[in-house]
Amino acid sequence: MKGYLGIDVGSVSTKIVFMDESGVIHEAIYLRTQGIPIATVQKGLTELKKRLPSGLKVRGVGTTGSGRYLAGIVVGADTVKNEITAHAVASSLQVPGVQTIIEIGGQDSKIIILRNGVVSDFAMNTVCAAGTGSFLDQQAARLNIPVEKFGEIALRSQSPVRIAGRCAVFAESDMIHKQQMGCGLSDILAGLCDALVRNYLNNVGKGKEILAPVVFQGGVAANAGMINAFKKALGLAIQVPPYFDVMGAVGAALLSRETVSRTGSSRFKGFGVTDTEFKTGSFECSGCSNLCEVVQLAEDGNIIARWGDRCGKWSNAFAEQEKIS
Amino acid sequence: MTLKVGIPRALLYYYYVPMWQTFFHELGAEVVLSSPSTKGILANGLKHAVDEVCLPIKMAFGHVLDLAGKVDYIFLPRMVSIKKREYICPKFLGLPDMVRCLDGLPPLIDINVNLYKSKKNAFFAAKEVGKLFTGNYFKISGAYRYSLKTQKKYFKLLQLGLLPDEALAGLEDGVGNKPRPGQGQFTVALLGHPYNIYDSYINMNIIRRLRAMGSNVVTAEHLSEQVVRSCAACLPKKLFWTLGQRMIGAAFHYFKRRDVSGIVHVAAFACGPDSMTGELIAREARAAGMPFLNLTLDEHTGETGIVTRIEAFMDMVRWRNAGVS
Repeated sequence: MKGYLGIDVGSVSTKIVFMDESGVIHEAIYLRTQGIPIATVQKGLTELKKRLPSGLKVRGVGTTGSGRYLAGIVVGADTVKNEITAHAVASSLQVPGVQTIIEIGGQDSKIIILRNGVVSDFAMNTVCAAGTGSFLDQQAARLNIPVEKFGEIALRSQSPVRIAGRCAVFAESDMIHKQQMGCGLSDILAGLCDALVRNYLNNVGKGKEILAPVVFQGGVAANAGMINAFKKALGLAIQVPPYFDVMGAVGAALLSRETVSRTGSSRFKGFGVTDTEFKTGSFECSGCSNLCEVVQLAEDGNIIARWGDRCGKWSNAFAEQEKIS
Repeated sequence: MTLKVGIPRALLYYYYVPMWQTFFHELGAEVVLSSPSTKGILANGLKHAVDEVCLPIKMAFGHVLDLAGKVDYIFLPRMVSIKKREYICPKFLGLPDMVRCLDGLPPLIDINVNLYKSKKNAFFAAKEVGKLFTGNYFKISGAYRYSLKTQKKYFKLLQLGLLPDEALAGLEDGVGNKPRPGQGQFTVALLGHPYNIYDSYINMNIIRRLRAMGSNVVTAEHLSEQVVRSCAACLPKKLFWTLGQRMIGAAFHYFKRRDVSGIVHVAAFACGPDSMTGELIAREARAAGMPFLNLTLDEHTGETGIVTRIEAFMDMVRWRNAGVS
């Protein structure tokens, strides 16, 4: 079997998919990044190799997510793309004719507006990460319920309480307040979903024309309470695609297919990278008063990339690797 | 002994430095500019500025402190109005007084520049400043006239499509006084306060990034005052702020230009006027069907956020251009 790898290294989770040449997803792996992106990618690739039949050929690799450059250098990616484009590409394939994409991940939330199959507008949360996956995670932990059960419990609510969603700190104090007043858990959770949806629509979705079909993806789309809250707020049907939590990776795989069809060959280093020792380190350059934090990546003791400097003094020596985007 | 006058490389420096520099030079003073913005300058500014002001003002604090100990005077005019019946942001007005409380500063030249009622006040302000250096009235008015002439030349260079640093270099050596055709595949208009879009530290090198991604960059400064004014007059009510007027006028002009494929608006977090002009531009962009991106700058040094948004925006523009043609 021949196919393409898509790797999405996000703030909270790392997603890896294997897609065959016709665009069918065969395997999808979802792992927590836990602050160690390289080790997580290696772990994911090991796992993927185990699951896939032997004799398969990787024709191309694409990376996306906030850790895309790092992951791209580690595995030898053919394309390194931002997550907005990756999500848009994946959605348009999975849900033909999609006009609105709602994506809520660990630290980011975005809205992408497509018209006639082309991105016409997008927005990401600005300085505030209230209402993203991390916050739901944290609240679930505080209430001592597994985050997977969150949505299920929220759906049982009869009358959701009103919770301030403007800021995660206020939302939390509001939730505690309601809980001490004796409101039921399911009503509080449903109220929280409503508040987060309200915050999303007022912040990220401000002024955007949200038209059906609406696709909801990203890790938070696993939460039935959130889906329901979006349905109520928008008055539209919400579609959650089958691979909603790995859509970024799907998009990266699709983009790598496109790149490889142009370049002809892949830069993929092979599954052997799982055994290679990668080491990152950073230092503060004292060449000028910018004091840039320069990060370097070493593969088996050889430095293969540096980035983070403004002037290019350190990164230019490795410019070839960086130009893959 | 020649007196040294320090000019902070911040705020309206990007508009008026040729005029200020020439004026002091003609009066026999030596002009010292603060160093280009760096992490150190911003850090120093953050430490000493009051909490509530916006990022550019904090940066200005850093630049003022950078000059301390190097000069006899710091030129920090109280800019109230630079155009009849219009104002400059109120934070500019309070800047000399906010700065005054810092320790170890040389005397400030904090002359009021208020052209709200009449343009003539500019000359009166210059006369007051000139008295510090000479008792000769003719010398002062000569210096003033010459400085205006230099300023005009500078604006002309900008309108040929040069960026401020290129235009300043052009003033020095007299070459490059011809329009510069861009090398990019398409053109993006970059709108924002000059001290945000031309300070490559504060905006994480946005102009270089846009160019590296294959785009030509045009700004409000590339347009003549007439064009900007006549376009800004499309608003049902005139804006109070001169800089806001420029941005709106430029935006309205670029909406109509077929060779401009997208608009990027750069705003500083906590900027009052920007929150309004940004929203006005965003709405008009949507109505005009122009790809639009709003970037908010703040103190973070992580570049991922900016890079991801710019990359996605460029993909969107490219995608759309490909679809149209």
